[in-house]
Amino acid sequence: MSATVRIIDGAIGDPAPVLSPAAQFGAAIVFDGVVRSDEGGRTIRALAYEVYEPMASNMLAELGREMLAKHGLVAIMVEHSRGEVLVGQRSFRLTVHALHRAEALAAVGEFIDRMKRDVPIWKTALHDSPPVPS
Amino acid sequence: MVFRVLIFGSLARELSCASIAVDVPDNASVRDVNEALAVRYPHKSTFFRGARLAVNHSFRSADVPLRAGDEIALIELVGGG
Repeated sequence: MSATVRIIDGAIGDPAPVLSPAAQFGAAIVFDGVVRSDEGGRTIRALAYEVYEPMASNMLAELGREMLAKHGLVAIMVEHSRGEVLVGQRSFRLTVHALHRAEALAAVGEFIDRMKRDVPIWKTALHDSPPVPS
Repeated sequence: MVFRVLIFGSLARELSCASIAVDVPDNASVRDVNEALAVRYPHKSTFFRGARLAVNHSFRSADVPLRAGDEIALIELVGGG
């Protein structure tokens, strides 16, 4: 079992191929978070992520280890962007390997909920133009 | 003791700063820092009294005593992903 964390400057690239030469897992979920073009009802051009380190990495690793134990995962890998990520680019990737899909799906949902609630990462919407007064 | 409480995200933008200086007694606890923040910003006192503070990159309970040089950060309104 392993939990790995990477904080990446800018957008996250394409995922690596899923390999299971020893058939250690039967389920592999790769969840990508993508920057939407709309944030709070306004069109944006990018999100800027602020990451408080090393607390954020430590908490992501601890949360990953908790998911490994709770859901009996084989592996969990977390990647999160820092800095500016343009609309349409990936800012977050969670890869989960498990023996079966049920525990993999459960772990993905729980991990993301907990991350959004607790981990010290903030995002700011970047606009091309100032807001229109209402 | 004077601490500079680090703030981030929308709170930092709202207050136009990256940290807030608070002066607390030498035997102060995490709770005392919450209270000092609430007194300094009375219009946001409820928020600051309930805000989670990390000390040296870990969440600590409210009655944990502080030491000079501790790094304190306010961890609220997060939104990773």
